[in-house]
Amino acid sequence: MKKIHWIILGVLFVITLGFEFTVLADYDSHWWNAIPAFYAIFGFVCCAAIVYVAKFIAKNIVNRDINYYD
Amino acid sequence: MIEFLTIPGVILITGALLLPFLPEKIRPSAFLIFPLMALFVVFTRPDGYSVTGSLIGYELVMMQVDSLSRIFGIIFAITAFVAGVYAFHMKELGQQSNALVYAGGALGVTYAGDLLTLVIFWELMAVSSTWLIWARRTKESDGAGMRYLIYHILGGGLLFAGILWHLATTGSLAVETVAQEYSIANVLMLIGVCVNAAVIPLHTWLADAYPKATITGSVFMSAFTTKSAVYVLVRMFPGWEVLIWFGAAMALYGVIYAVICKDIREILAYHIVSQVGFMVCGIGIGTEMALNGATAHAYSHILYKSLLFMGTGAVLYATGTSKMVHLGGLFKKMPYTFGLYMVGALSISGIPLFNGFISKGMTIDAAGYAGNETAMLMLLLASVGTWLSVGLKLPYFTWFDKTENDIEVKKLPVNMYIAMGIAAFACIFYGLFPNTLYTYLPFEVDYEPYTIYHLVEVIQISLLTFLGFWLLKKKMAPELIVALDVDWFYRKAAPATRLVFVKKVDEFFDKVEEGILAIARWLSAKFQNPMAWLNPFTKKGNEASNYSPAMDVVMSFILLSFLIFAIVYFV
Repeated sequence: MKKIHWIILGVLFVITLGFEFTVLADYDSHWWNAIPAFYAIFGFVCCAAIVYVAKFIAKNIVNRDINYYD
Repeated sequence: MIEFLTIPGVILITGALLLPFLPEKIRPSAFLIFPLMALFVVFTRPDGYSVTGSLIGYELVMMQVDSLSRIFGIIFAITAFVAGVYAFHMKELGQQSNALVYAGGALGVTYAGDLLTLVIFWELMAVSSTWLIWARRTKESDGAGMRYLIYHILGGGLLFAGILWHLATTGSLAVETVAQEYSIANVLMLIGVCVNAAVIPLHTWLADAYPKATITGSVFMSAFTTKSAVYVLVRMFPGWEVLIWFGAAMALYGVIYAVICKDIREILAYHIVSQVGFMVCGIGIGTEMALNGATAHAYSHILYKSLLFMGTGAVLYATGTSKMVHLGGLFKKMPYTFGLYMVGALSISGIPLFNGFISKGMTIDAAGYAGNETAMLMLLLASVGTWLSVGLKLPYFTWFDKTENDIEVKKLPVNMYIAMGIAAFACIFYGLFPNTLYTYLPFEVDYEPYTIYHLVEVIQISLLTFLGFWLLKKKMAPELIVALDVDWFYRKAAPATRLVFVKKVDEFFDKVEEGILAIARWLSAKFQNPMAWLNPFTKKGNEASNYSPAMDVVMSFILLSFLIFAIVYFV
């Protein structure tokens, strides 16, 4: 990832935030619409949670040597 | 009779029977004609069209058309064609014929108007698809194919038992919505269908077999078995509440395993479980919007999942391995495959402008509109996992990560690129023009995917998931492992099962046999000479033993007469 890629993604993120606080300011169909940048937080937290939960399960329960079933 | 031969499923199965009579050179081209013929029939038969017949006294509706069967019919026929293009270089007759029977089975199930027809096509699918696993001809695929077959015989048996029970209690064979009652017939049918839909914990056949099937076979497999089961669920079990939670659980289970697994085709296989979870959840919600969402998602899913399997199949074809440990750094060697794969990856992740966006959002929103926000959040969580595992982890560790990879890369046949191109085009086309899909959905659509809210939602989630992936990607680094699943219970239990049910039973029969033989030996020794028992004068010391046998008999007879006389007289 070059610097320019990060800048593009950052700009895109700022644009979505802009829309969220202007066009969608009064939008209210779920309880979480009241939390600012909910979907961004959700994405990041869930991503980390999935990685760590999967890692935990893999390490402690399910991972075995590749020839386990032979 | 002519009508019977124009049933889409029958067209493909007839094609499979004709293929062996054609020379090898024109077989791949002939293969493509049959899905096109089926597609023509699918498009031209109007709502309400039916083909009937009778078998052993039952009136069968072998084909019945409505909007729900049509949309599944369209996508099954298209996929059979695209997968046929992908397999164009493959000359093996067994795989070609079985792939056609398999696709024909799925189309047959889709149009079956009665349960007997349905179960026949259902079993045809199970048997023919097993061939596509065995055709890989490795030790792993032999075992996986057998487990797959046993699992599906069990599932088909449960479905058939349910159907017979249903027939006995209601007297009806029609394929129609069943009321949400947990009667024995309904539960048997539901479990039978759930085996094919890979509902957890009945999903292990899928993750076990699909990665071990042939390169071209797994493209067919990714489309037909689970999605025809989804069709039957939409048709027969809409609104069954239990499906909401099983569906949401499947969606999460699949992505967790997709993050754990280190084989690119295994990741995709687990991802089918996850994606079918979205559909099953939608079916459980059961509103018109949710059923539309499940159907649309099945349609989109078949397109992008076959594209993904084609992309990973191309990697396996070119490098000879699907283990991430050996991959990485392939971008310079396989840039087009990467591009085409990414179209599928962006689609499955529901990124705007691709077809996953127009169907996944519909399913998730349907959960929200039905007031089930928990299910909605679970599905959103699963879509984070989808983007993370199929959209980021898999391509990153296959095409990037290392700067160089000296693994030898074989040239791909052109037909593989064409097939992937067609699928990629379809993914983008439906993403750009959602209404071309929406008009075919079973219910009227009141849903607009491209709203600012949806775009903000999806872009925020995707961007921050990407950031999370970038920071944590080392945690998902490839290693050579096997991830256990609930199939452990029957794979590791196999020796114990064999001990109890085969070895011990054998030993028992051995013991019984020995006992019987011993008794027989003893009896034959004792009764070798019947005269020894029948003739009282056999003792050597007795003078009468010297008499001739004839005299023996006369004397015995006289004695017997005296005996009888005495008994009669004194008693």
